[in-house]
Amino acid sequence: MIGRHRYAAPALLALLYFTASSARAEPYLALQLGLKCSQCHVNPTGGGLRTTFGDIFAQTVLPAQHLDSAFDNWTGQVGQYLRSGGDLRFDASLTQVPQTRSVQQFALEQTRVYLEADVIPNRLLAYVDEQVAPGGALNREAYLLYWSATHDWYVKAGQMYLPFGLRLQDQTAFILTATGINMTTPDQGVEFGWEHGRWDAQLAVSNGTAGGAVTGNGKQYSTQLAYVESRWRLGVAANRNDQSIGAKNAYGVFAGLKTGPVVWLGQAEITDDRSIAAGQGKELATLIEADWLITRGNNLKITEEFLNPNRAVPNGEQTRLSVVYELTPVQFLQIRGGVRWNDGIPQDNSQHQRLYFVEAHGFF
Amino acid sequence: MQIDRCGRWAALLMLGCAAGCAGNGEGLDQNGQPISGGGSTGGPISADFQSIQDHVFTPICSKCHIGASAPEGLQLDSAHSYNLLVGVPSAEQPNLLRVKPGDPDDSYMVHKIEGLSGIVGGRMPLGETPLPQATIDAIRQWITDGAPNAPAAAAAAAQVFAVQTTAPLDGATIEGAPARIIATFTQDLDASLVNGTTVTLERIRDTGAPVAVAVAVNAAESNPAVLLITPRKALTPGLYRATLRGTGGGALANLNALALGKDISFEFAVEPAP
Repeated sequence: MIGRHRYAAPALLALLYFTASSARAEPYLALQLGLKCSQCHVNPTGGGLRTTFGDIFAQTVLPAQHLDSAFDNWTGQVGQYLRSGGDLRFDASLTQVPQTRSVQQFALEQTRVYLEADVIPNRLLAYVDEQVAPGGALNREAYLLYWSATHDWYVKAGQMYLPFGLRLQDQTAFILTATGINMTTPDQGVEFGWEHGRWDAQLAVSNGTAGGAVTGNGKQYSTQLAYVESRWRLGVAANRNDQSIGAKNAYGVFAGLKTGPVVWLGQAEITDDRSIAAGQGKELATLIEADWLITRGNNLKITEEFLNPNRAVPNGEQTRLSVVYELTPVQFLQIRGGVRWNDGIPQDNSQHQRLYFVEAHGFF
Repeated sequence: MQIDRCGRWAALLMLGCAAGCAGNGEGLDQNGQPISGGGSTGGPISADFQSIQDHVFTPICSKCHIGASAPEGLQLDSAHSYNLLVGVPSAEQPNLLRVKPGDPDDSYMVHKIEGLSGIVGGRMPLGETPLPQATIDAIRQWITDGAPNAPAAAAAAAQVFAVQTTAPLDGATIEGAPARIIATFTQDLDASLVNGTTVTLERIRDTGAPVAVAVAVNAAESNPAVLLITPRKALTPGLYRATLRGTGGGALANLNALALGKDISFEFAVEPAP
């Protein structure tokens, strides 16, 4: 197997140089490459363990410099049927909130390990995504995934992240907190995926309890459909969580566009949550992001977000502007630094938070 | 080039979004709710439940801990937070209460917001800056003081004596045996009336009469508005019915001897653990 990778790596490297001008992780990378998420991630909807293609890409094209280690490129292969990977994020941050003492801290944001067992190579795999720090171990994803022979459809069963629009790294983005569908709320259920040409679709049916105990017979239905071109993509998403205390509906549209060295991402969504107090669950959230690839390994990310936490009540809107510089000096290491400005109603100081941070992100 | 023109439009759109526009907050309280809807009018956090609700649970926690898909079933909006926190065992660490009145060091919620090493999962609020020490101190002090409910909330709930919610909900199917069954009330129960004649659990069979299940019943520690039903043996897969007797002699009643007035039953199915 290792021998095969010795030959595969240079081939992939050559392929990548011809297909990509550079990149990193997150949806904008898929835009820069004109590829679907499944090209670089084992999970067809993105995030978590990288494929062999994704691993080689992350080591050879992503960083400003590739350090020769005298060994083969890392592919996470453990024996013939197992692959592993991980992510570690460590932050230093300064948070300022008006009329509140500033908070400076170091924090281990998360350490996650991934394991994939290719039970039947290219057809059936078992996958685990476990957060092992900080705190006790916490399972994020654990599922079986069965691919069709032609890889144009799959069925996934177990605990998983749900499909709904852009799967961003920043889990505090308004578009992720408004729907409640993000990488902190995996759910247990089944997902059917369809990848045909430029089309990409998923439908998941799950308990609707964010991985918690089931308290009723209601189910959550989450679906998205995307059309992926080499320089742009457009998608729609819908979610209904039908629980006995009331249903929550969410609808979104998301898009991406590549213009020279800049990738643009956008998403808009509305939610109507009838499982909480009347009139409080009608939210509107939007995001526009620009990622400018300055030079290889150097990306400037600017994100503008908008949240109307209650469409039935005027004057409560919030915004957030983020400017983040991402440097990937060598393979397996990314340094991110930036600032996030929050703005909101004058009477809530927490809506005027300013966050400065530097993050070390190790990934393999 | 067409794509580059699109890029310029995207840049203009982004600038437009950047220029707009946080709300001016007119007519809203500190949590963005209409002033007429009640709620805090501001000021620093203090060691009482209403203040903690207004400064922490509502604006921060209930962004995720709300509604049908609240993580761990823990809803922290003002309608549910108190009775799902105080005296209720943690789902992540069932040997600890989420809030143990009088004992912040043994309250799992404090462990979570302080990020102690024994917690399961991440520190709360997840992915955000930890709560300021002054806020944590206020929460600790509220727990040290016995974790009393907000007078306004207690008064509003006290207008009627009824079952507020149950876990599992009526008609629910759950995978794996639940460690306990919970019923919350709008007012404190008279704990002396909580016994094996007023609270029962039965297994329903396809044929024949239901079979009583041995349980321990008690009001939650320091929160008598929460009733805990703990099976003495793990429930096997099947259909179950819990009954709270609210009529007849010795019926479940509040501290003013006001009985429920009717028997309340809820059924749930237990399926094998996955």
